Amino acid sequence: MFDWSVITQNAHLFAWGLVVTLEYTVITCVLGLIIGLLIALVQLSPIKALRVVGRLFVEFFRNVPLLVWLLWSYYALPIFAGINISKQAAGILALSLYGGAYYAEILRAGIQSLDHGQADAAKALGMRSWQAMRRIILPQAFRQMIPPLAGQTIIQMKNTTLLSVLTVPDLLYQASYVSSFTYRPMEVYTVVGIIFLVILIPSNYLARRLEMNSQ
Amino acid sequence: MTRPPNAAAPLVEVSQVRKSYGSHEVLKGIDLTVYPGEVVALLGSSGSGKTTLLRCVNLLENPSSGRIAIDGSPIFDRAADGHDNARISGRDVAAMRSRVGMVFQQFNLFPHMNVLANVMEGPRTVLGEDDATNRARALDLLAKVGMSDFADRMPGRLSGGQKQRVSIARALNMRPSLMLFDEPTSALDPELVGEVLNTMITLAREGMTMLVVTHELGFALEVATRVVFLDQGAICAQGTPQEVLLHPTNERVRTFVNRFHATAELMRPLLQT
Ligand SMILES: Nc1ncnc2c1ncn2[C@@H]1O[C@H](COP(=O)(O)OP(=O)(O)O)[C@@H](O)[C@H]1O
Ligand SMILES: [Mg+2]
Repeated sequence: MFDWSVITQNAHLFAWGLVVTLEYTVITCVLGLIIGLLIALVQLSPIKALRVVGRLFVEFFRNVPLLVWLLWSYYALPIFAGINISKQAAGILALSLYGGAYYAEILRAGIQSLDHGQADAAKALGMRSWQAMRRIILPQAFRQMIPPLAGQTIIQMKNTTLLSVLTVPDLLYQASYVSSFTYRPMEVYTVVGIIFLVILIPSNYLARRLEMNSQ
Repeated sequence: MTRPPNAAAPLVEVSQVRKSYGSHEVLKGIDLTVYPGEVVALLGSSGSGKTTLLRCVNLLENPSSGRIAIDGSPIFDRAADGHDNARISGRDVAAMRSRVGMVFQQFNLFPHMNVLANVMEGPRTVLGEDDATNRARALDLLAKVGMSDFADRMPGRLSGGQKQRVSIARALNMRPSLMLFDEPTSALDPELVGEVLNTMITLAREGMTMLVVTHELGFALEVATRVVFLDQGAICAQGTPQEVLLHPTNERVRTFVNRFHATAELMRPLLQT
């Protein structure tokens, strides 16, 4: 029934696809975290107009389907951003922005859940608000936020598969390519599924361990 | 008052400070001047505005209107119509706070840093002081509050009294010219109150200027140079502790003192240990 030779013969394509997937996961997570931190700080700003902008950003991405947003970005972002941005880069930026909205919510909640007394104590020593953020608030907030951030990062890795519709040569893209000339989609997609499980189940386990350690 | 106004320049000048939360006026035009070396006990029943007033002094809370000057520098000046008469930058406010220590009811130690790092944090981050000098002074202060053996402990593993003594050392390490205390012993088990009060008494005897919100009438009688009694957002009595607490003329103060009389008696032996 299963013909595993299509996998072994094209192992290099899967390997290359996996490298690209991991690469894009790292890139979109790092960009997403930076965007998320920025948006979280904007949402906590004393200036109301900024808070509204932050809120709109988050609401937009929480309510638009990711695939719709990615396809729109693929066609529209390069037009708005000019010719200097490739369609793949537009896809990466789009996924980072999407992840950023979710990271922002985690970071904002983490910062807000911190006892006000901590900021008071920092300010009473004479710290400026950015010093209090860097030395007192964020180190504590990040500690609490490790589990949800890890969870979001796992979702982000799964979401990178959607980049394949934008011709980013990730694991899923390579799989559909292999499937297109071997006519063995069952083997091909079984292997893709297994690769994700093998990577993400230990990651989930690690995230839970971190959660227990942080308590 | 206890000192003629011309003996020294005032360290704290609060005038006509009002504070409202929505339609609820919590401070109703407070005037309070503190001279260097004074230990002012701020008394009053719960909800009378003591915490709000203390937090206005270092601008953790912005008054709705009024004027505040610390050590001769105006740091807040807002007219009754909400117009700001002085443009004071965040940098100026932070610089003022770096010279005013504050001790909170809930300690507010930084839980992700050990005791020594807590005490060193202010000079390190705010003043950019080098670690060697900072550490030496921090260790001296920990010795002074009796916490030398705990320098490496995380705050989560200290008793309330120990936490509060560390938080006093943390504030002192900025070498403040004024210390604000907001009910520093109210969150403590009764048997731990004495160790914190003793630290504060030592500090007062060394000449530190202190503004102390407290329910410890024994402490007020023992070390306060002046008692200020707050009722519903207004100062209704002030004077020496003997005048205000032992011979109260004000009806509010009399009720308050009677309620605490038993406690005050109990405090006496504690203070002598
Ligand atoms: N952030 C706030 N928002 C609304 N009301 C407040 C706030 N802080 C204090 N209050 C109110 O102000 C009054 C005085 O509070 P506070 O200064 O804490 O009194 P005290 O320290 O004397 O117990 C209380 O009625 C309290 O409910
Ligand atoms: Mg209070």
